[in-house]
Amino acid sequence: MKTIRIKKGYNLKVVGSPSVATQKAQQPTHLALLPERIPFVKPRLKVAKGDRVALGSPLIEDKRNPQIQFLSPGGGHITDIHFGPRRVIQEIIIKLDETEEAVEFEQYSPEGIDKMSREQLIQALVTGGLWPLIKELPFRDHARPDAVPPALYVNLDSSEPFHPLPQVYLPGNEALFRFGLKVLNKLAAAPVYVCRHEKNSGLTSTLDDIINLTYTGNYPAHDPGVLLYRMKSSAMENRAWFISGQDVLLIARLLRNGVYPIERIVSLGGSGVSRPRHVISRMGAPLSVIDAERTEAASWRYVQGGILTGYGALPLSYLGFYETALNLLAEGNHRGELLGLFNPGYRKPSFSRAFLSAINQEELEMNCNMHGGERACIACGYCARVCPVDILPQFTYKVILAGEVEESLEHGLLDCVECGLCSYVCPSKIDLLESLKRAKAEVYKEQVRR
Amino acid sequence: MNRIEKFFESTRRHFEKGGKLEKLWPFYESIETVFYAPARVSLVAPNVRDHLDVKRYMMLVIIALLPHYAFGVYNVGYQSHMASGLGTEFWPIIWTGLKAVAPIVVVVYIFGFAWETLFASVRKHELSEGVLVTCALLPLTLPPTIPLWQAALGISFGIVIGKEIFGGTGRNFLNPALTGRAFLYFAYPAQNSGDAIWTVLSGGRTAAIDAFSGATPLSIAAVTGSSGNIQSAFADAGYSTAKLFFGLYPGSIGGTSAFLAVLGAAFLIILGVANYRIIFGCVLGLLFAGLLLNLVAADGSSRYLALNPLDHLIIGGSMFAFAYMATDPVSGAHMQGARWVFGFGIGALTVLIRVFNPAFPEGVGLAVLFMNLFAPLLDHIEIKYKLRRRIPNV
Repeated sequence: MKTIRIKKGYNLKVVGSPSVATQKAQQPTHLALLPERIPFVKPRLKVAKGDRVALGSPLIEDKRNPQIQFLSPGGGHITDIHFGPRRVIQEIIIKLDETEEAVEFEQYSPEGIDKMSREQLIQALVTGGLWPLIKELPFRDHARPDAVPPALYVNLDSSEPFHPLPQVYLPGNEALFRFGLKVLNKLAAAPVYVCRHEKNSGLTSTLDDIINLTYTGNYPAHDPGVLLYRMKSSAMENRAWFISGQDVLLIARLLRNGVYPIERIVSLGGSGVSRPRHVISRMGAPLSVIDAERTEAASWRYVQGGILTGYGALPLSYLGFYETALNLLAEGNHRGELLGLFNPGYRKPSFSRAFLSAINQEELEMNCNMHGGERACIACGYCARVCPVDILPQFTYKVILAGEVEESLEHGLLDCVECGLCSYVCPSKIDLLESLKRAKAEVYKEQVRR
Repeated sequence: MNRIEKFFESTRRHFEKGGKLEKLWPFYESIETVFYAPARVSLVAPNVRDHLDVKRYMMLVIIALLPHYAFGVYNVGYQSHMASGLGTEFWPIIWTGLKAVAPIVVVVYIFGFAWETLFASVRKHELSEGVLVTCALLPLTLPPTIPLWQAALGISFGIVIGKEIFGGTGRNFLNPALTGRAFLYFAYPAQNSGDAIWTVLSGGRTAAIDAFSGATPLSIAAVTGSSGNIQSAFADAGYSTAKLFFGLYPGSIGGTSAFLAVLGAAFLIILGVANYRIIFGCVLGLLFAGLLLNLVAADGSSRYLALNPLDHLIIGGSMFAFAYMATDPVSGAHMQGARWVFGFGIGALTVLIRVFNPAFPEGVGLAVLFMNLFAPLLDHIEIKYKLRRRIPNV
């Protein structure tokens, strides 16, 4: 087994790590699909307000490739479609029926998979609405169905705080997971790397035989982009595909049972949760069902995804198509304590050694305050020290601001895994990640147009 | 709400948009945020941000400089009393020192802040904390006898020409404090060079008492020439190695103590504010150049060539400049490898300027400015080298 050692990166020591305890969430009355939160997809509505939909019937398609569809996570009727500025489709809200009607897809046995051709398998996933779960580096759009990847990465766990633990979603589903891997092996027609952190001791040994890549090191060591960066030997390998461990189960369920799978195990973490845990709910469920014990919502930020890469959602929002993590962070929209500038800062988390917290091993409280005003770059170099793919963000962002696209690509812009550490550590509070992400998206648009 | 909060609540409206003092908002904001960190939250990913900000970063440099001020006040007072034949009681010395140093510091801060506020309010951005450090550094490099108008002119030149015309802190390529210092040195040599300027005379005297020699170690070393011995010249002037190391001799305000500079450098390195590569690079460069000159020193050549490299390290302001001037992250080299070269260049040039250019007794300031000019080139070379090793991804 190969082990990749990631030396850079940084682990946040933050409170609110979810325990392995699981809890079944209440059955929601409404569900929603959030097209706005699906990156790069240009959605075209296939339904209108008042329409009846079944579980697994298409709600939107991607204008760029109408084959790619996103299906309804439940059976019922459309009660509302929310549009944002410039008619961006924010939420398609479905009120659930008592008896949810479901679209029937074809069922496959393991032998059936053997007999199918790769194209048929891809078609089955595209029709089943789960193709977009497979993503393609470096832009992280869903994979192109007509491409053959150089490799496919399946990651079981995440080093970002906080995501569902494989020891929660895997036990009992080992056979299903093996079936899913069989599908992926056929799909990829290339090496499939099933990876986990070397130190994840909670995983039972039942799947040891299929794990063929481990890694050590700090966040974001788990990221397929980081693993690829460390493993690749030529530019041919840049367009690898990846999928998360829990999504493999969804694909397996779809092909095995012939029903659009809806179960999602969501980690619920962060300092805003009294009992950080895992919640069994379903795709598109309202956040209020997942975090049912909430008290006052105003001072908490509901972060869908990890606390570094996730996005803040309204407490009344719904679980996104890709999301399996909900983290509650204090908003921190109040000013600091008197003369906090001179506080030794034993409890102030920082990458630097400028606070006493450098010797504090405890997990600390974190909030969404910027902890400072915006300044010009003072070249402290912290961003380059944490970047897991050796980009020099303090130079690259200046190259981007100067409009030098070619040079930014030379700087490794497309290797950026969008982990957000550069923005996190920046004492000048420059949104480095945002610059790099936007520049990447621009490059992507330019490439598609060509 | 306590009294300080109330004070800010009641005064803020005057500085906000539409208020009478709206133009001074950056100044007000910089004061308020010293007391209370702003309430700003992250709007884009990542949701959480590090507690370190530029204010804290710069504040730590100021804290490292405070001992130099304490020492500077004492040393200025002490030398003044020695030169004027007064007693050596502690408090009178402090009082004499304060009378000489405090006005310079106050004037420098007033002018520094005025320029910074002017540029910040025209550019409509917040006041950058770099000015705090620049204003703290400049007085420590000045002779205590400097006329106040020159101190004001020096900081103005440093801030405006050394920094603001390029866009302010973060966009300057020269160390602003040294830019101001170098300007004063070249523009007003009468008040900025020679042996007399380093000692303030008190008690109504116009000349130092006969027993007092105001010569600095650097000038002694420079005038020794090809005959004689610097070591014995130091000994004649009462400069033991310990005295040179601790810095209790006439010189710039607070910049003479190599001991405090070493402590400050250690403090800043431990806290991750100063880069150890630059400081060690400087020391290595200085020792290397010093040793090299020792090797080429022949009988007829200047005895300065044969000076022990370690003496180079402790005389004058070299250690002070290595610890605080060279480590300015903005005007120094930005890449880790380039920082070694950058530091090495400063150290080596310091010795070369001192030894071969008697017009500039202290070479370290010019060495730092000179290497500041080369820092972008060093960075460029290292970046090109690093980028060439990447597997392309386009």
